[in-house]
Amino acid sequence: MAVYKRRYNSYTGSLTPAWSRFFVLTRFAFADLFKSRFFVLLLILCIVPCLFSAGYIFVANNKTLQLLMQLRSEMDFFKVESQYFIVIMIVQAEAAFLLNCWVGPVLISGDLTNGALPLFLSRPFSRADYVLGKLAVLGLLLSAVTWIPCLLLFSLQSGLAHNGWIWSHLWMVVPILLCSAIWILTLSLISLAVSAWVKLRIVATGVIFITFFIPAGLGEMFNHIMGTYWGALLNFTYMFRIILERGFRDPYRLLDQMSRNEIPILAAWASLIFVCLLSLVILNARLRARETVRG
Amino acid sequence: MTPTIELDGLEVQLGGRTILHSLTGVLKSRAIGLLGPNGAGKSTLINTLLGFHVPSKGSARVLGLNSHTSGKALRSLVGYMPENDAFISKMSGVRFVRYMAEISGLPSEQAMERAHEAFVYVGLGEARYRPVGTYSLGMKQLAKLAQAIAHGPKVLILDEPTNGMDPPARKRLIELIREIREASDICLLLSSHLLRDVEETCDEVLILRNGQIASICNLVEERRANRKFLELETIGAEATFTTALESLGCECAVFNSGRIKVVMPDRVEIREVFKVAADRGVQIRRMNHRRDSLEDIFLNAMEQTGAPDGRL
Repeated sequence: MAVYKRRYNSYTGSLTPAWSRFFVLTRFAFADLFKSRFFVLLLILCIVPCLFSAGYIFVANNKTLQLLMQLRSEMDFFKVESQYFIVIMIVQAEAAFLLNCWVGPVLISGDLTNGALPLFLSRPFSRADYVLGKLAVLGLLLSAVTWIPCLLLFSLQSGLAHNGWIWSHLWMVVPILLCSAIWILTLSLISLAVSAWVKLRIVATGVIFITFFIPAGLGEMFNHIMGTYWGALLNFTYMFRIILERGFRDPYRLLDQMSRNEIPILAAWASLIFVCLLSLVILNARLRARETVRG
Repeated sequence: MTPTIELDGLEVQLGGRTILHSLTGVLKSRAIGLLGPNGAGKSTLINTLLGFHVPSKGSARVLGLNSHTSGKALRSLVGYMPENDAFISKMSGVRFVRYMAEISGLPSEQAMERAHEAFVYVGLGEARYRPVGTYSLGMKQLAKLAQAIAHGPKVLILDEPTNGMDPPARKRLIELIREIREASDICLLLSSHLLRDVEETCDEVLILRNGQIASICNLVEERRANRKFLELETIGAEATFTTALESLGCECAVFNSGRIKVVMPDRVEIREVFKVAADRGVQIRRMNHRRDSLEDIFLNAMEQTGAPDGRL
C-alpha cells in the first residue's frame, strides 16, 4: 500500500505482544493530556506541597539551620513521624482528587460520543483491555502525586536522618502503598464510570463531586436521624482517612476526633471496595460494542 | 478450502426477542454480499460474526474460527467499517487511523506509515491532518474504510459503506473495494441496501428476510449459467442454421420473425455461433444474454414465504 503505488497491500510485518496493547490507549491519552497547558499547570501544583514537605524534612534534619532560624525549642518542634506522613498523604490525596476530576471525565466519553467503541472492540482487544488502558492513565497520573512523592520524601528523610531511622520506620512503606492504592483505585474507577455515563466534561466533573459529597451529606443526615455512626460509611474521603490513620498507627487519633464513634477499619475497606465494584458494574453495563434495546 | 462464512443453526436473541432464526448455510466466495430489507438482521449477523453478540443457539464461523469461542483470534483477522459514525472527533485523521492500527498490533512506526498510506489510498491524503470531526459524511466513510484496511486484515467487513455518499464518491468507493478485493487475498463481507453495490463487488449473496435466510445465491455461477442462454434475432435463418447449432450441442427453439432461443453447452463459445451464421449467410441483428439481475433474485427471494437455504 505504498503511497506512490496507490494500491492495497496486506500487512506482513511483526506485531506487538497482545498483552501490551492496552498501553496504546494510555500512551495516546497522555499525549492528548500533555497538550493542555492547564493540565500541566495542575500537575505541577499538585506536586508543590511535596516540595514544601521536602523543605520541612531538610530543616528538621539540619540543627544548624534550626538554630539560625531560632526555631530550636526544647519540645523538638520538627518531627518526621507517622503523623507527618498522614498529613502529607491527606494533602496529596486531595490533590489526586482534583487531578482526577479534570482528567477522568474525558477518558471514555470521547470514545463514546462518536461511537468509536465498536472500532476498539472489533479488534483483538477486549473490554477488559480497554478499561485497563484507561485505568492505567489515571493510575500512573495519580501515583505521580500520591505514593511516589511520599516514598521519595520517606527516602529523603531516611537519607538525612541517622541513628537507624529507616529501620525503625520501614513499616510505613506498607501503609503509604496500600492507602494510595485503594484511593487511586476508588478515584479512577468512579471517574471512569462517570465518564462512561456522562458525555459532557463539565457535567461529569460535577457528577464526580456529587459522588463524593452528596452521599457523605446523606450519611450525616442518616447519623443524626437514626442516632448512629454507620452513615459515615457513605463518606468515602472519611473512610480513606480511617484506613490511613489505622495504617499509620496514629497514636493521637487526630483524624478520628471528628467521629463520635469508631467505624471498624474492615468496614472502611469494605465501603471503598464496594464503590469500586459498583463502578465496575456500571462500566460493564456501559462499555458495549452494541446497545441492546429491550422489548 | 476453508469456507469464508459457515452458519450452523445460528440463533441470536436480543432483549428477549429472537433476531436471527436458525441460520444455516456455507458461503465460500471471497466477496460476499449481505442483502435484506430493514430489520432483516444484517447488522445483527455482522455483530455476531464479530463476537459482539453471543449466539443463543448454533454457531457462526469465519475462516473456520468460531465467532464466540475464538473471538479474539477471529477479530485479529478482521477489518471492520461500521454503519454508524465511529471516530474520535478531536483526533486528526491520520492519528486516528494510526491509533486503530496500533491497537490491532502494529508497532508504532509501521502503524504511522500504514496510516499515511491508507489515507492516501482512499483519497483523503490532503485532509489527513484535519480533525476527523470536521470531515464531511463522505470523508468520514472513507476515514472508516482507511482504519479498516490500515492493519492489513484478511477479512474486511463493510456495513453499508456507501451510506450518505454522492454518486461520484460512491463510484470511487466501489472501485476501491473492488481494487482491494482484487489486489490481495482479502475476503470481503459487504452489507448494503443498494443492490448495485453488492452486484458490482460481490461473488455470492446472502439474502436475509425477517431474520431468516431467504436465499444464498452464487452470482458467479448465476452469471455463468446466464451467459449460456442466448436470445437471437436473425434474418435469413433457415432450418439449416438451427441444425448446425444443434450439431454443436446447442438446444434451439425457433419463434416467429427469426427469433431463436439457444442454450449452449459449456464447451461452446459465442464466436462459434457467429461462425455458423456467417457460413450460412444468416444475419444476427440482435443478441441478448438472458440475465437475472440481482434485483430479480432479491425480489424473488422476498416473495418466497419459506426460508430456503439453497440457491434460487
